[in-house]
Amino acid sequence: MARNSRVFLLFLLFGLLASDAPNGRPELESNVCTIVLTRILRIPISMLGAQVTAESLNAAPATLLVSPGAADEPPAGPSGFDVLADGSLLINDPLRSRVSLFDSHGGFRKAWKIGFAADSLTVTANDVVLVREATTGQLHAFDREGKALQAEEGSLPGQAEARVLNSKSGTIRRPSIGNPQGGLLEVTFDKPGSSLVSLETLSIDQKGDTYVALETSASGDATEGINLSKYVRRYSSDGKLLCEIADIPVDYYISPIDELRVHKGLVYQLQTTSSEVRINVWDTNQLCSHSPH
Amino acid sequence: MLTHLPLLFVCVWLISDLHTQAQVEVIARLPRTTRAEILARAEKLAKHTWVCGAPNLRASCSKRYLSDWKSGQSVTGIPYCWGGIDGSEEFDRKLAKGLAAGAHSRFGVLKCAAGIDCSGFVTLSWGLSSSGHAYTTSTLRNIAGKLKSNVFEDLKPGDVLNKPGSHVVLFTGYNADGTIAVCEASSSQARVVCRKSTWSRFKGYIALQYKGIDD
Repeated sequence: MARNSRVFLLFLLFGLLASDAPNGRPELESNVCTIVLTRILRIPISMLGAQVTAESLNAAPATLLVSPGAADEPPAGPSGFDVLADGSLLINDPLRSRVSLFDSHGGFRKAWKIGFAADSLTVTANDVVLVREATTGQLHAFDREGKALQAEEGSLPGQAEARVLNSKSGTIRRPSIGNPQGGLLEVTFDKPGSSLVSLETLSIDQKGDTYVALETSASGDATEGINLSKYVRRYSSDGKLLCEIADIPVDYYISPIDELRVHKGLVYQLQTTSSEVRINVWDTNQLCSHSPH
Repeated sequence: MLTHLPLLFVCVWLISDLHTQAQVEVIARLPRTTRAEILARAEKLAKHTWVCGAPNLRASCSKRYLSDWKSGQSVTGIPYCWGGIDGSEEFDRKLAKGLAAGAHSRFGVLKCAAGIDCSGFVTLSWGLSSSGHAYTTSTLRNIAGKLKSNVFEDLKPGDVLNKPGSHVVLFTGYNADGTIAVCEASSSQARVVCRKSTWSRFKGYIALQYKGIDD
C-alpha cells in the first residue's frame, strides 16, 4: 500500500512538472536575458535665442532646432522619428517645418522641406513615410526620398490591443492572421516592490516576435512627483520572453511623441536633452547577460 | 536677545495664522463645480472650430511674429497663446477684431494675440473664468491639493498633472492599457487637444485636485 502511494505521488509530481512547462504559458522571470545599451547616436542641436529671425531659423542646417520655452511653456523641438529600411533615421525638425535625414551613424544627410511643423513620423512596411502635421493631426505621405505622394491616402498601421489586468500582469491581443501562434500574449511582471502601470505594443516583426513597452512604478505616491521605470521586452511568437531592456532613461527635455521604435531587432529611443538629440539603441539580436531577479 | 524669543515665536505664529486664514478665505471663495462640468468646459475648448483669416496671421505688436496657420484654414481647438486665457466666445471676438491667432513664448507675451496657454486652459476648465489669468503652474497649488493616494489608480477626471514652472494637463481618464487620456493647451500642437499619453511623459509631475470640486 505504501509502495502504491509512493508511485501515485511520483506520477502526481511528474504531472505537475509537465503542466508547468512553457507550453504557451507565461515565461517565468527568474532568469531574464537583459540587453544593455548598445550605442548612442548623438545629433547636435541649435538652441533658439530670444531674438527669432529668419537667419536664426535657417542657421546650422545640420542641427535640429530647439526652443527652450519659458515659464509655463515647455521646450519644443524634435518629438518624432522613425527608421528607414536601410537603417537611416528620419527626425522631425518642427521649428523649421522640415524633416531631417541622418545615416545609421547619426551623420546628417539632408532635410526635406515639408512646409509644415510635424510632430510624429511613421515608416510603413513599404518604406512610405507618414508625417503627421502637428497643428491639424493630418497625415501626409512621402516616399523615402522625401517626395510627396499626392494620391496616397495615409493611414497608420494598426496596433495590437494591450490591456493591464492587475499590478503584475496584462495581455496583448496579437492578430492571428498569417500567424498560427498569434492570439493572446500574456505579459507578467513580477519584480518585488514594483507594479505594472501600463503596456504598449511597439511592433510585431515578420517572425511574429512581439516588442512590448512596460511602464512600472515602485510607488503611486506623486506628492513629490511621479516616478516610474520603463522596460521593453521581446517575446517570441509562442509567447516566450526572449529578452528585456531595463535601462531606458525617461528624463526628457522635450517629451517625445514617438518615444520608441523597433527595426530589425534593434530598439531605438528618441531622447532630446538640453544639449543634443540622443538616439539610444539596444540590439536585441545580440548575446545577452542573464540577470536574476 | 533671549528675552525677545517668545515675542518672535508669537510673531511667527501670527503670520502663519494669517496666511492660513487667507488660504481658507481663498478656498471658500472658489466657485464650486462638478467633474462633469470641468470635462464639458475642456471639451468645448478642444472642439471649438474657427477659421483663420488673413489679418489673424499677423501680430500688430510684434515684427518677429510667425503664425502657425494658413489663411482660410479651418482649425479645431482654441489656439495656443502664451499668457492667454481666452474662452471660445472671447477668442472669437478677438479673432473678428483682427488679433493674431495664437503665439509662443519665443515672441513674448503679445497683447495683440488671442488664445490660451496650459494654465489658462486648466483655470477655465475648472470654471475660474472671472479670475483672469490669476494662476500659473507655479501658483495652482494655492487652489488645488496634492493627491495623497495612488496616482496610477486614484486620479479622477478633472484632476491635473502639474509641473510647476513648466506645464500642466487635465486628466480625463485611464485607458485599459494603463496609459492616460489628457486634454491640454499644447505649445507643440499649437492648440487645445485631447489625446492618449504614456506616463513617462509625466515623470516629475505632481497630481493636483481642485479644491472647489463638488464630489
